[in-house]
Amino acid sequence: MSEQPTLEINSLSAGYGRFDVVRDVALSVGKGEAVALLGPNGAGKTTVLRAIMGLVKQRRGLIRIGGTDVSALPTHRIARGLAAIAPEGRRLFLDQSVEDNLLLGALHLRHDKARIQTLLASVYGLFPVLKAYRQRLSSFLSGGEQQMVAIGRMLMSDPEIMLLDEPSVALSPVAVDIVVKAMLELRKRGASLLLVEQRTDVATRVCDRLYVMTHGEIVDEMKPETIRSGGMSILNKYLG
Amino acid sequence: MLQFVLSGVAIGSIYGMIGMALAISFYVTRIINFAQGQLMMVTVMVTAELASSGYPIWLAALAGLACSCIVGILSYVIAVRPILLSNRFSFGWLVSTLGFAVIVENAAAYIWGPTSQAFPPILNGISLPIGGAVLTAQQLLAIVTAAVLAAGFEIVRRYTLFGKLGMATAADPEMASAIGANTTVVAIVAFAVSAVYAGVAGLLIGPSTFANPYLGDTFGTYGFIAMMIGGGTERPIAAMFGGLLLGVCAEGANALINSQASDWFPFIVLVLILIVSPKGLFSTSNPLFRPRRAAVTRG
Repeated sequence: MSEQPTLEINSLSAGYGRFDVVRDVALSVGKGEAVALLGPNGAGKTTVLRAIMGLVKQRRGLIRIGGTDVSALPTHRIARGLAAIAPEGRRLFLDQSVEDNLLLGALHLRHDKARIQTLLASVYGLFPVLKAYRQRLSSFLSGGEQQMVAIGRMLMSDPEIMLLDEPSVALSPVAVDIVVKAMLELRKRGASLLLVEQRTDVATRVCDRLYVMTHGEIVDEMKPETIRSGGMSILNKYLG
Repeated sequence: MLQFVLSGVAIGSIYGMIGMALAISFYVTRIINFAQGQLMMVTVMVTAELASSGYPIWLAALAGLACSCIVGILSYVIAVRPILLSNRFSFGWLVSTLGFAVIVENAAAYIWGPTSQAFPPILNGISLPIGGAVLTAQQLLAIVTAAVLAAGFEIVRRYTLFGKLGMATAADPEMASAIGANTTVVAIVAFAVSAVYAGVAGLLIGPSTFANPYLGDTFGTYGFIAMMIGGGTERPIAAMFGGLLLGVCAEGANALINSQASDWFPFIVLVLILIVSPKGLFSTSNPLFRPRRAAVTRG
């Protein structure tokens, strides 16, 4: 491969306090590629995303985003156009309106009003319901709508790599479908995604490649086709 | 009756400004700066010193506020940040900000001596009769300034990007940094703004109390009471309401019980209010007081 991957991680170890939650992780996401990180609870998937964002105190190894080494950068520098996250539990700013949540996502672009308007229009194009609710407090939204705001806030910073942490969790089947379609639409627009999931069906619908993670290590890498053509049993072995 | 209400509102707006100062830094960083009263004192002392050496009063006041700002930022950098860096959930700042207060206070006493010095009268000479009562122009200025500062804070918080960023940092500092906010800078700005609020309160009370290095103790305590009875920990402007209530209670006790009653009566009010409504009277989480909260509609 001559082209540089959007996200490249090598021998990453990260954790909280004295021991590492993830050990010696290596993965890459190419430009315009969508990659899933599958695994059971406590496998360290979220920790990998947090390490990319610089939210984990102890991290060693190489993390490159679009050629920039971010392994020593503070979180707020990484968040300025390199990576953005739609975190677990959504973590919206609940005492603020939908539009304010979105605009806060574009914090580092605040002097570029035209670009913010373009981004805002693209988020509303992706989730028309948010436009209708834009003045509403985000705490008054349903879970699915809150997830849309979280994804929208992530898009607003126009990042090189988008990190999604279990966007399907605790949502109704209809809302899951909307989120999946949104991710497919993002792919069409050329976005690079790293998706953490527990739901294999969601991951196989969206992604080009899947990493399987257990006990803090990546144990396998496969294609969605492999899983569809009976690889489910391999996966179940890992996921327990 | 009217007299003590009016002078209570005047002194209460001073307490309210200090309460808001405490509440602003607490709102954003979840840290009580126990050196807040001392930040007010720094403005008073510097202004008095410069005014007595012949500088114009407005210049002296600006320099005083600037000094408070610097000391306020130092209180964060020296007394708070190192502790939060080693452990984000530590309560070490309880002691370290108190220690910082003692250092600032004693440094001031060392520089200017422990006794009171003259403070330039701003508008104390003029008095305005209102109904059957009298208010000095100085007191009126305090009330107006407090209203402007309280309203200004709310406007900035709700309608500017920086205010919204402050709210975001208050609600979820980690997520705020994940959208690109430098939370250290936000915290430093919050401490600087709170120092200005305390300093302005000092400028407005200075003509009545004179410049004394131990001024911060009493006013810091009253500001704290104002914040607690108002519920400023959740909503900084509530500290202003708390301050006004406190001022009227203290002046009322002086007028109706005896001239020393303002030393103990506010504490009884504080205890009673905290028993009835532990979150403070005007906070959003007080079930008795919920402004602009529409019925929850889930769509």
